[in-house]
Amino acid sequence: MMKGGPSQEDIRRHNLGALLRFVHLRGPASRATLAESLGLNRSTIMALTADLTAAGLVREELPRKPGRRAGRPSLVVRPESTRVYVLAFDVGVDRLVVARVGLGGEVLDRREGARDRGADASDLVTALVSAARSLVRKAGRDAVCVGAAVAFPGIVRRADDAIMFGPNLDIGDLSLGEALSRRLGLGIPVAVCNDADLGALAEHERGAGVGCDNLIYLHGDVGVGGGIIVGGRLLGGDQGFGGEIGHMVVNPGGRPCACGAQGCLEAEVGERTLLAHAEREEGPDGREAVRAVVEAADWGDIVAREALHRVGTWLGIGVANLVNVFNPGLVVFGGTLRDVYLGSAAQVRSVLATNALAASREKVRLRTAALGDDTTLVGAAEFAFTEVLADPVQVLARLKAPEDTPVL
Amino acid sequence: MSVTTPLLELRGVDKSFGSMKVLRDVAFSAYPGEVTALVGDNGAGKTTLVKCIGGIHPYDSGEYLFEGRPVRLGSPRDAAALGIEVVHQDLALCENLDIVQNLFLGRERRRGLVLDEATMEELAAKTLSGLSIRTMGSVRQRISTLSGGQRQTVAIARAVLWDSRLVVLDEPAAALGVAQTQQVLELVRRLADQGLAVVLISHNMNDVFAVSDRIAALYLGRMVAQVRTADVTHTNVVELITSGRSGDLGLPR
Repeated sequence: MMKGGPSQEDIRRHNLGALLRFVHLRGPASRATLAESLGLNRSTIMALTADLTAAGLVREELPRKPGRRAGRPSLVVRPESTRVYVLAFDVGVDRLVVARVGLGGEVLDRREGARDRGADASDLVTALVSAARSLVRKAGRDAVCVGAAVAFPGIVRRADDAIMFGPNLDIGDLSLGEALSRRLGLGIPVAVCNDADLGALAEHERGAGVGCDNLIYLHGDVGVGGGIIVGGRLLGGDQGFGGEIGHMVVNPGGRPCACGAQGCLEAEVGERTLLAHAEREEGPDGREAVRAVVEAADWGDIVAREALHRVGTWLGIGVANLVNVFNPGLVVFGGTLRDVYLGSAAQVRSVLATNALAASREKVRLRTAALGDDTTLVGAAEFAFTEVLADPVQVLARLKAPEDTPVL
Repeated sequence: MSVTTPLLELRGVDKSFGSMKVLRDVAFSAYPGEVTALVGDNGAGKTTLVKCIGGIHPYDSGEYLFEGRPVRLGSPRDAAALGIEVVHQDLALCENLDIVQNLFLGRERRRGLVLDEATMEELAAKTLSGLSIRTMGSVRQRISTLSGGQRQTVAIARAVLWDSRLVVLDEPAAALGVAQTQQVLELVRRLADQGLAVVLISHNMNDVFAVSDRIAALYLGRMVAQVRTADVTHTNVVELITSGRSGDLGLPR
């Protein structure tokens, strides 16, 4: 049987999602602005706003700062940022961040802690769960958690969120999402995604890449991750493993990589390599150590400068390949690669100028992550909001009804 | 984005101090939405050129075009009227005044006989948040309590408060720590991304390559090359600065 067009119910759900998404990403807006931006008439906007208000997702109020224009100020539709929230987990090799992020994208509260590189999987889950519980306790009684997501430095299978490979943070066979969801007991699933993919999403929606639908995000932690957005969508590939820029071979036969190959981008520009080039393998590691190399180079330390120069060469080759293959409008450097890029930009761009096609490199912009150290965290929050933005009223109704289910 | 017409274009500018020639037949362009890095060795004439752009020094001969129309600047006020602001190396902030007072120094808003503090404070906060500056705290802090990077930020905010079209930054990262330099560089980039024409003077090649779209190299008072950053290498630029030529670029052999 042929399927008909979308039903009225489908259209309404789509419009509710579009309106909520607009105020979530762009901030409070008047009905007139919404009507114009969403291409809907004002009575539709009024009905949608009423539905979302009834569900407790938005409220209408006077703008906080009175404008200096004459006449009665018009009401603005504002997301209920303190009442509707998600939990975002950012798992780094050395650092864990858990945040309660309200609708509208505001980080309402956060817990941050260092992670010991030797800690095992159960330590990780315990640390994340206790931070999340303390955040949930601080939320108001009427607040509702509508999603949760983890940014993880590893390759994650889309079908079941299984972590297939994470050489810098090995948690064995643990199903991280399920373990967190079970221990949290909020009745919501916890999604697990590749950290750099989420970084790409965050910079695309809220950072340096707003308005740019073809961008590449490079994330430096211990290794190098990548997220590629093509035509406004994240490139996941067949199983969701796509965008592993860190394992693009830039120097055949080069330094050995944890993945088994040689000369991967990660092996040539990752933290260990930079510290080795800078003759600092013995000292402390982590992002502060990377920043210390950049700082030393800036003060004139010739060993540190040489190290950044070498790393910059491989980073430039990597970016040149990406520019030739994807013709991105924007390449964003985040995590420790922000510091590495700013400390080696002359070399990166010189290599780009000599190795990338003139037509492709002409318009590409190279930028640092506008969200700073929170890029992957914000990405996790945005991912966690996906479901409620797709079908706001249904999802909220389902989450608000747990009183009806029998307590075991 | 059409960037075919430069916002600012100088042609054949000459400048002498007495018998000493400092600028010879200089051409220079700056485009909206782009950062143009002005590089050159000490004494190459960078600061003199900036002072000509900002209306501080009159030039001896040459053309000064703004949006394609010839203009003649008699003073920094004329430059400000066109939307040209220069942030000098010394920043010219008053240490004993707070951020708001510094932003509006000499151009205070009044309501009747008194100063309109509320409006000025609101505008100051709006400008700083428009530049995505969250680390500043209260806009009523005195300048003397701020770090070097924060002072630089206030100086830049003062330059963009007046619907500026072109902002010239003379060595904004000199004397800053690495973290602060990075923040200032990102701020410089953001100004251009918001549509301003930005001219950046810097000695640091990484800074130049990190944020610029074009590089203009001065060598002994001559403009030896104006190139797109995407088309040159570090070595090219260093050669242009030190010897005035690099391959096909620069002075003819």
